[in-house]
Amino acid sequence: MREEVASSNRPSNKKVKSFRVSNSYRLLLDTGHFLDTCYLSVDDYMLVLGIETSCDETAAALVADGKTVLSNIVATQFDLLKKYGGVVPEVAARRHTELIGYIVKEALDSAGKTLDDVDAVAVSSKQGLIGCLMVGVAAAKSISYARRIPLIGIHHVEGHLYANRLSHPALPYPHVCLTVSGGHTMLLYVKDDRTYKMLGTTLDDAAGEAFDKVAKFLGLLYANRNTGGGRVIDELSRQGDRRAFNFPRPMLKSKDLDFSFSGLKTAVINRFKDKIARGEPLPLADIAASFQEAVVDVLVAKTMRAAWVKEVSAVSVTGGVAANRRLRQVFQETGANKNVTVFLPPLSLCTDNAAMVAAAGYARLRRGESSGLRLDVFPNAPLGV
Amino acid sequence: MIVLGLDTSAYVNAVGLCDSDRILADATFPARTDSLEQIVDNIDSVLGSAGLALGDVGGIGVGLGPGSWTGIRVGVTVGKILAFSTGKPVSGVSTLEALAYTARGVSRSICAVINVGAGDAVYAGIYHFTGGEIKRRGDYYTGSVEGLAALLKEPCVIAGERAASFAGIIARESGLKIEAFEASPGGAAVALLAARRLARGESDDALALTPLYLKESTAKVFNHGYDKV
Repeated sequence: MREEVASSNRPSNKKVKSFRVSNSYRLLLDTGHFLDTCYLSVDDYMLVLGIETSCDETAAALVADGKTVLSNIVATQFDLLKKYGGVVPEVAARRHTELIGYIVKEALDSAGKTLDDVDAVAVSSKQGLIGCLMVGVAAAKSISYARRIPLIGIHHVEGHLYANRLSHPALPYPHVCLTVSGGHTMLLYVKDDRTYKMLGTTLDDAAGEAFDKVAKFLGLLYANRNTGGGRVIDELSRQGDRRAFNFPRPMLKSKDLDFSFSGLKTAVINRFKDKIARGEPLPLADIAASFQEAVVDVLVAKTMRAAWVKEVSAVSVTGGVAANRRLRQVFQETGANKNVTVFLPPLSLCTDNAAMVAAAGYARLRRGESSGLRLDVFPNAPLGV
Repeated sequence: MIVLGLDTSAYVNAVGLCDSDRILADATFPARTDSLEQIVDNIDSVLGSAGLALGDVGGIGVGLGPGSWTGIRVGVTVGKILAFSTGKPVSGVSTLEALAYTARGVSRSICAVINVGAGDAVYAGIYHFTGGEIKRRGDYYTGSVEGLAALLKEPCVIAGERAASFAGIIARESGLKIEAFEASPGGAAVALLAARRLARGESDDALALTPLYLKESTAKVFNHGYDKV
């Protein structure tokens, strides 16, 4: 119902203010293109199409006014992960090319919208696998050009920050955000919706990567189910004893806010490789539970330390590993003990998705930014404003 | 019908325009490692140079490759999403066929050749013209130039970017009379071939359009057992 009211407002010409345009966009304006079309009214309803192809999920979503998710379509590549034992950039990029059109169409169809209704396109253009990012950006700039709507490139990690904003509009500022996935383990101080600072990051493997590699070592990965290593360990741990093995808690006692998971992974592997070589059965559930406990301990302790250092009373957790049930449980318990409110997005917004990209894009467009049609990809871009 | 042709398989953005069988524009922009950044600008400038806008285009032709894997992904994605966003029909064209088409007019069969990456291997296809239409004879070929020479049974014209050097090797290996025709994948050739198909009422499903890689990724299939990390 809200939508109907909102859409009827959309084509109106009242109080049209122009967006400040970035330099690259101005180049196009100077040549006469887009002159009459890249203006959007600040007061009006804005429907943003988000596109995300930075790793192995092909995703598109429609988000209204940066807060209402009308559709959130994600195609995972578990069949390919299973076949190759991990993400192969070339294989993932090929799959993105096959799927991207269908996924965009599905995002529109399932929301009952067409491209006529879309006011802007946001796409992950920074941080990820270069060949994969390129497919999403090529699609996004084609839509922007064909439909004469603004285009905005988003840093993938900034997208994750907005997963929390989408699920918890009341998320207070400032707060500390832990972004933890197969590609990142990062603590951010989020001052407001446009200012954030990195407090710490992983020095080697991301936490999700450690989950995947340990699962792969234990022979669990993708063997009989369509899930990644993180979820396999999460499920197996429920039947295991998390105190069965005392694995190291890397950098738990260090004064900084950085992480390291490579050593923990190696500790697990070294402890059991002799048994594996002899073909002896392993207490898989106990290993999984103990390993998971070590990772969770470090993630929660460091995040809480960051909250204490920055004197904030709210933390948010986002990224694929935020779907881990033990992590969510320990975060809630520790938060309650320490009087820190913990915000956890629903599972559909934890893993890579395009709704978060659309929400992040909306915020930047509202601030008058846009990327222009020469938008390129930056696989190793630092997180910045 | 005005048809826009794109080909990004050869580390360039080749953009062409044709009106049925008349070439309106044919431009090639360098894109050494990145065909992505300028592609839309280049399309727009070619349209602008012909006094046209995207709305005037009646159909889109896309070079599917083979060639640079990253390049063809960009071209195919741009082609399919432009077609999806504008509702215009799209036709995928083999880059080998477009190369062979640039040598049209010769009476012999044409062997279009494209380098595989930086190595000595090639992608190839053998074409001939019958009744003004270009037809491929047999399957595409991927392998060494010497292997290609063994496949050729009659004198032909080698078309491609290093045609002279390939023709020399093939003539020596096969003992046949081989001519060379230097040509690069061009947007106008793609547009012309697409225009012919579209005029016959044939088009491709835009969403299903996929590059013509002609080569599998070299990734190893994972062995599900205990594995070293």
